[in-house]
Amino acid sequence: MALALRLQKSPMPGFGLGMGITLAMLSLVVILPVVALLARGVSYGPEAVWATINTPRVWAALYLSFRLAFLAALFNLVFGSLLAWVLARYDFPGRRLIDAFVDLPFALPTAVAGIALTALYAPNGTFGSIAKSLDGKIAYTQWGILIALIFVGLPFVTRTVQPVIAEIEQEVEEASATLGAGRFYTMRRVILPMLLPAALTGFALSLARAVGEYGSVIFIAGNLPMKTEIAPLLIVIKLEEFDYGGAAAIGIAMLVISFSMLLVINLIQIWSRRRIGHV
Amino acid sequence: MIRSIRVTDSQLAHGRVIRRHLDGRLTVEDGTKRMTGYPLNPGLLDRCLGFSMRRVVAIAATIVGIGLAGQASADNSLLNVSYDPTRELYRAVNAAFAAKWEADGHPAPSIETSHGGSGAQARSVIDGLKAQVVTLALASDIDQIAAKGLLPEDWQSRLPHNSSPYTSTIVFLVREGNPKGIQDWGDLVKEGVEVITPNPKTSGGARWNYLAAWAWAQKNGQDPKEFVTELFKHVPVLDSGARGSTTTFTQREIGDVLLAWENEAYLALNELGEDRFDIVVPSVSILAEPPVAIVDKNIVDDEQKQLADAYLNFLYSPEGQALAFKHYYRAWDESAADPADVARFPKLDLVTIADFGGWKQAQPEHFGDGGTFDQIYSGK
Repeated sequence: MALALRLQKSPMPGFGLGMGITLAMLSLVVILPVVALLARGVSYGPEAVWATINTPRVWAALYLSFRLAFLAALFNLVFGSLLAWVLARYDFPGRRLIDAFVDLPFALPTAVAGIALTALYAPNGTFGSIAKSLDGKIAYTQWGILIALIFVGLPFVTRTVQPVIAEIEQEVEEASATLGAGRFYTMRRVILPMLLPAALTGFALSLARAVGEYGSVIFIAGNLPMKTEIAPLLIVIKLEEFDYGGAAAIGIAMLVISFSMLLVINLIQIWSRRRIGHV
Repeated sequence: MIRSIRVTDSQLAHGRVIRRHLDGRLTVEDGTKRMTGYPLNPGLLDRCLGFSMRRVVAIAATIVGIGLAGQASADNSLLNVSYDPTRELYRAVNAAFAAKWEADGHPAPSIETSHGGSGAQARSVIDGLKAQVVTLALASDIDQIAAKGLLPEDWQSRLPHNSSPYTSTIVFLVREGNPKGIQDWGDLVKEGVEVITPNPKTSGGARWNYLAAWAWAQKNGQDPKEFVTELFKHVPVLDSGARGSTTTFTQREIGDVLLAWENEAYLALNELGEDRFDIVVPSVSILAEPPVAIVDKNIVDDEQKQLADAYLNFLYSPEGQALAFKHYYRAWDESAADPADVARFPKLDLVTIADFGGWKQAQPEHFGDGGTFDQIYSGK
């Protein structure tokens, strides 16, 4: 992230105080823990960090975590945007209620969500029994993990896209129509480019949340090594072995991968902003 | 921010908010004059500010009070950091001990118990949780605390029976009527049998499960490593703790057999109905010794030391032992126990952790990084 400092003095007062509080908060809450993690990695030694990460089981867990987080975020990108569109554009009875439901995954403790989802999707649960009659299994497989990740990430996309949709003036679409564009063309060339930066932000948030999710996944995953073992669980396992260095090593691996993914998403956002001028 | 306010009963005003009063009133400016009144549609902020000062002070005092109460660490208080399945046991022990301590002419003690995964609890103490007493699932977890210098390395010889006032073992919990005909460890690797056990990496109880299976294979002329490898191929879900596995088996109805602490199995039977599950006792199991110890470095003075000593000794007293029996633990002294509580434990062939060279050897060999358990899943 680029820190753009304006050289010209802003006419708004309070910059010094505001910036001071921002930096202090950021250091205490975000930067210090990350530095502590990296310091633990450094004291553990780069070779030891690499030796910990470079094992089939850690790679399998990292691949599983990031692949499923990506798929869940992709699902949320499409259906979260759709949900935002419906909530912002249409008026129907119960709209406010549905609007409130969207925030539930934020508010619910993740362990509660995990237990509830497991109860539903376990072979003796409501949906799980349907899957069982079709010879399928949802809980304790990767499908179960995916469902939990979709659940925790859904509000991020909806809540970032919704205000942008509400901001788009109806006139823009009407102008597009009077100039001869069809509905699909208007959607593709007028609406979507305006939504893209916000949708990507929502996608990134949803992805970041899903990658680190532990509480809900642990109940529904089955946790079999090489099959349904997520990377955060491996960190917990390392801690149980009192292997703080090993835990930090996997943490650093997740940090590096997450950071690279967020960087790519930011670059796409910058590119799409340039393309359409502002927003 | 533009807001509407009611200045008098009949007069409304509309303007930019320039001041918020603590009683919820707003002062607005409409460009020419300033007026003060209650907002027409109070926002969240206004409603919060609308609290009377007395209420604000009361809330603040409560918060500070709660904060201070958490700090209280008098000499007659004890924090016992324990593991998961002992909740019910220590609730009974704390009450009985407090009554006895007071009856002996001491001031009423305040004893708190914290529960969680054994390893995580040990880590909390290492990281600075001021526990005067630890009662964990594995000696190796207390060894880790000792390695940080919080108690002497030879802590386990300070109390009788390897510092374990009660013991337990590993048994099988099967579904009512035992439909898969499971009698012993060998039956667990039969075609179509699903076994539920927590992950030995994260659960103390699961380590006892693993070692018990290992011991059976050794005694029956099988290669133990091959046997446990085969056994874990029959495990469809690896929960992180013993309670999680019990839930998976009993509530989610996954699996045919649960490898469980004996006390946990009896508890499941009692809580969930005897008509749903049966307990099967295998021919060989392991003597699980959950040890107790005083964390010397966290004791503030002699008075607290006396209390902590009395607390642990109480566990060895006939009264404490009776409580252990009552909560499905195998204890040593039957003199005060209800004979029915004692009689329900069948005799079986128990190996001990000493047969594995003690935790100092068994822990790294089987459960450390790259140990025999890791090899099951890395295919080496």
